[in-house]
Amino acid sequence: MKTRISLYPYVWRLPLLIWQGLFFVGPLVLMVAMSFWLVKNYRMEPDFILKNWDKMLSRGYFWDAYWITLWRASLAAVLASLIAFPASYTLAFRVSETTRRWAIFFLIVPFFTSYLVRAYAWQVLLAESGPINAILGFVGLGPLTMLNTGIGAMVGYMTLVLPLVVILQTFSLAAIDRNLIEAAWNLGARPRATLFRVIIPSARVGLIIGAVFAFILSYGDFVSPFYLGGSKPPTMSILIIDTTKSGQQWPRAAVVAIMMIVTLFTVAFAAVGAAYGRRK
Amino acid sequence: MTKQETLVTFQGVRKQYDDFVAVKTLDLEIGRGEFVAIMGPSGCGKTTTLRMLAGLESPTEGTITIGGKVMNDVPAHERDTPLVWQSLALFPFLNVQENVEFGLKMRGVPDFERQPRALMWLERMGLKGFEKRRIDQLSGGQRQRVALARSLVTEPEMLLLDEPLSALDAHLVIRMQGVLTKLQKELGITFVYVTHSQSEAFAMADRVVIMGQGEVAQIGAPRDIFRAPRNRFVAEFVGRNNIFTGLGREGRDIVVAADRISVTRDKPEGPAIKAEFLSEEFVGTAILCYFETPEGEELKAQVTEEQLEALGAEPGMAFWLGWAPEAAHEMEG
Repeated sequence: MKTRISLYPYVWRLPLLIWQGLFFVGPLVLMVAMSFWLVKNYRMEPDFILKNWDKMLSRGYFWDAYWITLWRASLAAVLASLIAFPASYTLAFRVSETTRRWAIFFLIVPFFTSYLVRAYAWQVLLAESGPINAILGFVGLGPLTMLNTGIGAMVGYMTLVLPLVVILQTFSLAAIDRNLIEAAWNLGARPRATLFRVIIPSARVGLIIGAVFAFILSYGDFVSPFYLGGSKPPTMSILIIDTTKSGQQWPRAAVVAIMMIVTLFTVAFAAVGAAYGRRK
Repeated sequence: MTKQETLVTFQGVRKQYDDFVAVKTLDLEIGRGEFVAIMGPSGCGKTTTLRMLAGLESPTEGTITIGGKVMNDVPAHERDTPLVWQSLALFPFLNVQENVEFGLKMRGVPDFERQPRALMWLERMGLKGFEKRRIDQLSGGQRQRVALARSLVTEPEMLLLDEPLSALDAHLVIRMQGVLTKLQKELGITFVYVTHSQSEAFAMADRVVIMGQGEVAQIGAPRDIFRAPRNRFVAEFVGRNNIFTGLGREGRDIVVAADRISVTRDKPEGPAIKAEFLSEEFVGTAILCYFETPEGEELKAQVTEEQLEALGAEPGMAFWLGWAPEAAHEMEG
């Protein structure tokens, strides 16, 4: 009777395994292989050459794109975390349960419209002759060039990630055991010390996960740097588009993509390690 | 108990949330170096009272003073009233020593002074060698002692405890009761201990405050409360008591403790009541027998094993439950 192996757990795991195999591992392997292929007369031929890697990694423009993308995504993660925190703190500690529920709902609403549509809206708002510059002009400032600059791209990144970061932070702050906060006061911690010594350490995992999501989404995004950042300097995702357009260089685009995936994995691992670090 | 200097006073204290009154009126004095237990069923206002002392709630009306100073508007972090939480509320992201040092750090005690004080308290609590452990690597009893060390390291005049033993196993509760009483005697500081457990309160406290529905029902030494409950609420809450409705003067209710009841087959001299034997419960040192009067009231009598055997009680048998007139206490309400 005991010898019969239950298929039950395997059957339920199967769909996930098939999905991951077909749509993640498969394409990834293909992409890695493709990065060694040869392009001849605008056609790809399976091969094993190091030329694509050599060409990409030895070019200054690749590394410019690499560092600008890393820098912007890091900045977006930090900015989003800082901008979101006061809002999340208020939602977690200062408002009623009902208000918090409505706020979470309204934070989900932005995802109803395409991000592209929201980026177009920002194009109008940020334009040289747009409403923001009109207001600035009214108080005697500007006009500021925001569109097609790093500022424009950053506004786009915030549009993309802020609602999600607020939601993640709010949940992690709201989940803190209130007794811990009261214990801090009880032991003589002023509100500021309570924030830095008890509230932030207690919500550390959620705060880091929020920042990681902001990083990942901004890092791979192409809408903001393209429509709001003017694609100059190009980010990694814009570099992929440019590379595929110019002479069917899919293998070189694969090199860029692999570099992106490696970077994301490294950052995500480091962040999760930092989040759970001391708890191991 | 010698006459003590007063440390804490509650004068006409009331606490109201929107439409819920947690504490109706509270007048209470707590002496320096006294072990006071505040006891009552859940929702009686005992925890709110403790939280007002710690500054985690502010009274709606009335005045709270500590050491003669009005504390109503003093924020929690400026008070010297450490509290031991039911959940202990130890910081999971800090190790044992860091937890103990927290209060000193917040008060700006320099590092070189903090460390020896924390280590001294950890040693005193029998936690030597556990300094660098994480909280989740400790047993329930060890966590309890970390919480005590964390609260006492600042050498407060008063320690507040909110049902600190309710999460522990029964054998640990007894041991921790010993630890707490000994600690309180040695330190000579005031302990204000909130609990719903009669055995904890009676085992440790000099004085017990019984609260019900936001008011003080009775204040007194454990023995006085047990032998002479002021009213039906206290008598019922204390347990192991028999309440006889209208048997006192002017039709007042009287109460007789279960260990003052004698069980006989024949009608004894003096006051007695006939009741049917229901069941027995072994309570360690004695046997608690349950009876029911023809009116359906439950009565309890505490007997020895030998006595129970001699009676040969079977469920349904009728007995006389008698008591000496001086064992009966007449209640007010």
